[in-house]
Amino acid sequence: MRRVLGILAIAVVIIGWFALSPGQKKSTPVTLTFHAEMGGEPLVYDQFVYDNPGGAGQFRVRDFRFYLSNLSFGQGDQTFAEPNSYHLLRFDNADKTHSITLPEVPLASIDTVRFLIGVDPAANTSIEVRGDLDPNSQMAWNWEVGYKFVVFEGALQVGQEVSPLVYHVGFSENAREVAFSLPADVLTEANGQIHLTVDPAKLFDGSARIDMQTLPSVKFNRTDAEILANNYAAMITPAF
Amino acid sequence: MLRVFLILAAVAGIAAAGWLVWDRLRAPIATPIADFSAPFVFGRFSVPPDNPLTQEAFALGRHLFYDPMLSGNNQVSCATCHVQALGFTDGRAKSPSLSGGELDFSSMSLANLLWGQERFFWDGRATSLEMQALMPIQHPDEMGQDIDDLMAELRASGTYRKMFRRAYGEVSPENTANALATFMRMLISADSKYDKYLRGEVRLTAQEEHGRKLFMAHPDTKISLRGGNCIDCHSQFLTSGFRDALDGFSNNGLDPDESLPDGLMAVTGNPAHKGFFKVPTLRNIAVTAPYMHDGRFETLEDVMAHYNDGIVVSDTLSPLILEADNAPEAGQGTVGLRMTSEEMKAIIAFLHTLTDDTFLANPLFSNPFDGGS
Repeated sequence: MRRVLGILAIAVVIIGWFALSPGQKKSTPVTLTFHAEMGGEPLVYDQFVYDNPGGAGQFRVRDFRFYLSNLSFGQGDQTFAEPNSYHLLRFDNADKTHSITLPEVPLASIDTVRFLIGVDPAANTSIEVRGDLDPNSQMAWNWEVGYKFVVFEGALQVGQEVSPLVYHVGFSENAREVAFSLPADVLTEANGQIHLTVDPAKLFDGSARIDMQTLPSVKFNRTDAEILANNYAAMITPAF
Repeated sequence: MLRVFLILAAVAGIAAAGWLVWDRLRAPIATPIADFSAPFVFGRFSVPPDNPLTQEAFALGRHLFYDPMLSGNNQVSCATCHVQALGFTDGRAKSPSLSGGELDFSSMSLANLLWGQERFFWDGRATSLEMQALMPIQHPDEMGQDIDDLMAELRASGTYRKMFRRAYGEVSPENTANALATFMRMLISADSKYDKYLRGEVRLTAQEEHGRKLFMAHPDTKISLRGGNCIDCHSQFLTSGFRDALDGFSNNGLDPDESLPDGLMAVTGNPAHKGFFKVPTLRNIAVTAPYMHDGRFETLEDVMAHYNDGIVVSDTLSPLILEADNAPEAGQGTVGLRMTSEEMKAIIAFLHTLTDDTFLANPLFSNPFDGGS
């Protein structure tokens, strides 16, 4: 009897050890923080402090915002896609940053991050409210056209002349995927914090360099919209 | 016999007294408003968790809204400047001031306040309807009421004591604000011709449909897209200003820099907000003349003329307004949309589809002291 009890006690301890020990980590907290910067400094609104990338004069920014959607994380061949993943990123705050926090990404670790600048075609042609998509918001063109993906508004000053700048880029074909790998240990060392830089100037200075005086607005012309989309595809870079 | 009668009378008296005490001591018995509906295209809305929508709060708010007791001289109610048949405006450029003269701003229409901006008044100085509700009451030129005096008057009324008890508990400034906010939140306009069109129940006329398309389009001469540019400030379904942050405030080109009023800048202190005012809902806009924060335009035709070639340039003018032009060649000294007169008439025809006669005559929103209940 005593021997049986002894064996039982040992069995309980062993089973308890396996049941309660901190085994493989089941989830990872992640915060993506986007820093809006131009010329390596936090974005400045409402002042003529930036040079026209492709021509004369200085410009100021009144509004800059964009949709980031379909955020997903990968570890080896496992992936996790955030449900209803539609984020409107705006930077009109003290830090000129925007953070997206996922307290529990159900992966043991993360080595790749993917998302779209823009909105996927199914959501873009819907009037359903989900995530930050809102058909009554400033980002809605209207329910027949879809959403603006990237909005940049301001003014250009050349000499004494001040003229408006309006860049509204949408259309489903202009969503651009951003994907990058996380170096090993970045996440654990930074406690789940991933920092990224968003450079609005890249809209006008990428595969095409744009003179804001020649092209002061982009709205529904699909050729112009595509040029800006190819440029903004490179506006977000991870900062490790 | 007499003894039996006396005993019965005493029992009845004790029961009545007990009931009265119990009725006064028990918690409010407010009934949640569960059955109101709103079009899904209006999107999400939120009600403050500490002021849920209840039938009792609505009934109390409606009585307060129409009661001149809320003013210092007992002659002005909220409804004096917010007349239901006029979309809860008063038909004046600016309402009269108690001290003579007129107020700074035009009376705002009240409809669909559950959606759109979460700031109230033309300059956005109130950040909730609860905060908004007590401000005109205490403003010396609007209703000129001392809030403590008002509480004394309300507590002196058995009817109000009972209505407050049922809705909230005690008579207090906070509960007065809560009740008025509840009444205003329930002023839902969703039965205009445009709503019926969105629900697929009616068709718009060719002119109204032309106007709808122009309303929803920012003009782009590069692809020959003509537009009235309304949607850049007035959301497509609500037709109000936008909800997020301060997106629902704009400078729409009424005044030059020299005489530009502070507007939202008076609240935020940000010079980039000078001359910004709240973008109002266009629901029932055909009955809420005159227009703009100072009521300067008497007709919708005047408003269209302003946007068509009367824009006054200032530093904070919306670039979306300054840039929007339907004519490809440079303008000759005027700034505006440069549409045809047919296009302007079409937009006005569309604006008339936003009139909701059911809302404007809904007995639930009417004066309860006019024989209503």
